[in-house]
Amino acid sequence: MNKDKIFKLAKGFRGRAKNCIRIARERVEKALQYSYRDRRTKKRDMRSLWIQRINAGTRVHGVNYGNFMHGLMKENIQLNRKVLSEISMHEPYSFKSLVDISRNAFPGNKNVVVPPRKVAL
Amino acid sequence: MKMLNSFNLKRAAAGIKRINLDGLRWRVFDAKGQILGRLASQIATVVQGKDKPTYTPNRDDGDMCIVLNAKDICVTGRKLTDKVYYWHTGYVGHLKKRTLKDQMALDPTDVIRKAVLRMLPRNKLRDDRDRKLRIFPGSEHPFSDRPLEPYEMPPRQVREMRPRARRAMIRAQKKAEQQQENAEQRQQIADEMKNGKKIEAQEECA
Repeated sequence: MNKDKIFKLAKGFRGRAKNCIRIARERVEKALQYSYRDRRTKKRDMRSLWIQRINAGTRVHGVNYGNFMHGLMKENIQLNRKVLSEISMHEPYSFKSLVDISRNAFPGNKNVVVPPRKVAL
Repeated sequence: MKMLNSFNLKRAAAGIKRINLDGLRWRVFDAKGQILGRLASQIATVVQGKDKPTYTPNRDDGDMCIVLNAKDICVTGRKLTDKVYYWHTGYVGHLKKRTLKDQMALDPTDVIRKAVLRMLPRNKLRDDRDRKLRIFPGSEHPFSDRPLEPYEMPPRQVREMRPRARRAMIRAQKKAEQQQENAEQRQQIADEMKNGKKIEAQEECA
């Protein structure tokens, strides 16, 4: 019984780990440990990916991520990073208007602006 | 690795079939007068695709980067003579080295290529990204038929010169000015001599 469960979980493993029970048991235990740990790190990784995407999207318009979020906080726009990254990917014009809102909310930003590069969109 | 220009150009267009997507842009970097490391970090961000909001870490989405005028790259300080590239061949005691100056004489494109490669993350996409980088020592390239986009570097905040370096620079400038004045004086004297000879010759003839 236990053996069948373990072999079911060991599908796709390399070499003897999918066929031989002794090795498979070890590998399956490790796999379950990794998946437990990574369910927590997945949340961190996804958030960091959203931040990278938002950063890329705002730098196209001449603002960096830090100043952008500062401006949004000031204007009390409570969109989270997941939604903001989706907007920056699929809705460029809405994102541009968000960047403009953020820029106007904090006029001091203009001193620290990353200059926009001339990119033909 | 001394190659003729034509051979280099042919080779530079090779391997393009391996690069999948052509929704990619062709960005042109002009390395003339740029600082080596600062240019390389900008190239590295573009080649990774980190300036696009659709960046995905497991998929290589960077733009094709063309670097021109690689032989006109600048470095600050004494790096031309003091920056050394080390590599080990694997045999005991065979740590080889080469200075920047020699490397530029041998193959100027390699300097930028090493700089950019060492700034990319060491993962399985690194080789594909290397294939997207095309570097040319001059300003000719075989990609003129593609839609090229020039890349504007962000403005650089130049730090103030340290006092000692500044004084040395002023001394060098004064020296150069004096040399120019001497050269001009010598030219004037030479002209007068020539005029004097001509006048004497005319007098003799006449």
